Amino acid sequence: MADTRRNLLYAGPDFHAEQHIHPEPSSFVRRYVFSTDHKVIAKQFLWYGLFFLAIGGTMAMMIRWQIGHPGTAFPVLGELLWPESGGVMPPQAYASFFTMHGTLMIFFAITPILIGAFGNLLIPLMIGARDMAFPTLNMLSFWTNVLAGTAMVVSFFVPMGAAAGGWQAYPTLSTLVGQPGPGQSLWIVGIFFTGSASIMGAVNYITTVVRLRAPGMGYFQMPLSVWGIWLTAILNALFVPVLAAGVLLLFLDRTFGSHFFLAGAAVTKGGGDPILYQHLFWIFGHPEVYILILPAWGIVSDLLSFFSRKPAFGYKATAISMSVITFLSMVVYGHHMFVVGMSPLLSQGFMTLTMLISIPSAVFFLNWLGTMWRGAIRFTTPMLFAVGVVFVFGLGGLTGLHLGAISSDIYLHDSYFVVGHFHLTMAASVLLGAFAAIYFWFPKMFGKMMNETLGKWHFWLTIVPITVVFCGMLVVGYGGMQRRLYNADEYAFLRHLHPVNLWVTRAALLLGASQFLFVVNFLSSLVAGKKASENPWEVGTLEWTVPSPPPHHNFDEIPLVVNGPHEFSHPDVKGKDWLAQNEPIAAEPVALGAVGR
Amino acid sequence: MSTVTFHHLPAREESRRTSFVGMVMALASWTMLFGSLFFAYAILRLKAGSWPPEGVAPLPRLLPFVNTLVLLASSLVLHRGARDEAEARIGALREALRGTVALGSLFLVLQLAVWVPLWRSGFTIASGVYGSIFYGLTVFHALHVLAGLAVLLALVPGARKGRYRSGRQNAVRLSAMFWHFVDAVWVVMFVAVYLL
Repeated sequence: MADTRRNLLYAGPDFHAEQHIHPEPSSFVRRYVFSTDHKVIAKQFLWYGLFFLAIGGTMAMMIRWQIGHPGTAFPVLGELLWPESGGVMPPQAYASFFTMHGTLMIFFAITPILIGAFGNLLIPLMIGARDMAFPTLNMLSFWTNVLAGTAMVVSFFVPMGAAAGGWQAYPTLSTLVGQPGPGQSLWIVGIFFTGSASIMGAVNYITTVVRLRAPGMGYFQMPLSVWGIWLTAILNALFVPVLAAGVLLLFLDRTFGSHFFLAGAAVTKGGGDPILYQHLFWIFGHPEVYILILPAWGIVSDLLSFFSRKPAFGYKATAISMSVITFLSMVVYGHHMFVVGMSPLLSQGFMTLTMLISIPSAVFFLNWLGTMWRGAIRFTTPMLFAVGVVFVFGLGGLTGLHLGAISSDIYLHDSYFVVGHFHLTMAASVLLGAFAAIYFWFPKMFGKMMNETLGKWHFWLTIVPITVVFCGMLVVGYGGMQRRLYNADEYAFLRHLHPVNLWVTRAALLLGASQFLFVVNFLSSLVAGKKASENPWEVGTLEWTVPSPPPHHNFDEIPLVVNGPHEFSHPDVKGKDWLAQNEPIAAEPVALGAVGR
Repeated sequence: MSTVTFHHLPAREESRRTSFVGMVMALASWTMLFGSLFFAYAILRLKAGSWPPEGVAPLPRLLPFVNTLVLLASSLVLHRGARDEAEARIGALREALRGTVALGSLFLVLQLAVWVPLWRSGFTIASGVYGSIFYGLTVFHALHVLAGLAVLLALVPGARKGRYRSGRQNAVRLSAMFWHFVDAVWVVMFVAVYLL
């Protein structure tokens, strides 16, 4: 029954020939530990990421405690961690904690949750495939990541503690001069392994999207979530190797006495260049920002349409804008280095390219608003979190302009303004996006519904403090407070900022505490949640056309895609307001564009 | 009204194309890795007053040049062997693998013949940034040659059983792509590190 009045010229692969249905493995190890099923690997990544999110979050609380209440003991945990100082966090531990907080959150919390878990869960299910293109590589990717995480955790317990040179690990802070202990070397090993894992995942994701889309699923019929994850994968495949090269050279410097990043008194003959590391780091580092945010953008773009019961406004423009940003993100890294003393001409170029990003960003941001405009909005928990992303990302994006412009960046560089800005974009937005995704796809992953009331409390007790925390940081940064200060109150010119810092700390503690609502909701729903139907949210993307949770092989029949991902309120559809992507419209005639617009 | 046209391809051809896309992406990733190392070299060299730095003897060129030829020959042998096997000259691949592995090993031996005397003469990885670049890049590349040899050796049992005949040489094709890539990197490295 293919009479959809759509001329579908399909020249892609023949799925029935390639994707066989394999029986589900029966042994416990093959099924839950070394599984090659993308849905199981997604769950592994989710648990793994949430574990590190909890660790990284706790570290953030302690960092905030030191800023809000310098010189006092952190309740309960402080006594256990630092008995010799009476529970007060020592300066070395402080440096180590802000370093590891950033490292763990970026590489071991956000990346596993949004890219590892939701990339794995969504790509095959949303494009109508039975699994990833390379299931074994997928499994390897997860376990390589576990090795990396282990190296990071172990590094806390070695002599002189974990890395403490900032998450960027700039030389000379990260060379043997700044970090003589083995913690920094373990950090490098961890980064190298997690990078390898990311690349394995990225190669797999890209190939899966290119090769295994169901018949009729053109690139512009893909849900925007898949677009976001796919673009992220491209950036991962191309730019994580640059970081790998940087930390490799750093490792050689630390272990074999080479001189890539050593200069000045640290070398006897022919020194290298510490700034070189900054280049390598930020060639990777700027795309990394988009690696983290693109999946959240895609997911939010879909969710806003799903819960506004309207097709995504400017679907194609959103997809193209995200692609343009992906490209631009590769050529703007110099704006992280305005103050290292590079040529003013180069700075000007980097500034101009950076400012160009605001054009495609504005396009998809307005498309988000256009999607919600006059929609029949259903304020479910995932929708609330999606709107929350729009809000905090808007704030983060606007503050980015001040850092992209050279004249204001020179003042704001290395201040708490930077900390506030990047947390709004790649912590708050991404965290809220991850929660939206978890609340939304939990039924598909585990076959149970999460509790809506608890979810809404969780949302309001998250969005309010998270805004206070990071906007407070913008304020103190604008007031002149540098980042990474152990005790800002020691400086007379910063002492008047103490009340703001105190309130930021209080809001941060509230933010941390309210996450227990999520933990309770997640665990109790897992055990005793209401059973989820096949399509509880009444949306049309392919994952909602199969049971919750889906069978091992996802689709009994590979679906034939005839609609775009956001077919809502179609005038010819009676009795419901959505159309599945593989559900032909029987009625005639079809107005323009039954397919994605 | 609606026309749904499918191009039916044999399942083996489908999986060949899928693994090809994956390999291209993986090699793109590797290209960025080596590209970053070359970028590091370029920056360090641009900032250096003289190259090689004063008081450092220039690197030998003859042996590395011979080595470049050895590696290029190994690629050629592998390429022709895989092609002939595909055209049903059974046994061609087995011989080619033998030849490629021999040439690849010779490359590593000659590399050692370059490194060892230099190291003994006191020019080590810790001899300033010149030594760091030289050993860092060439040893990292040699590790890839080693990995490539392992990949090729893994093909030998299958080749002996004639498993890679016409239309079935996917594993050979992918391994060869990696081997040619490692060779291509060497050519760039030879020009950048030894010649320029």
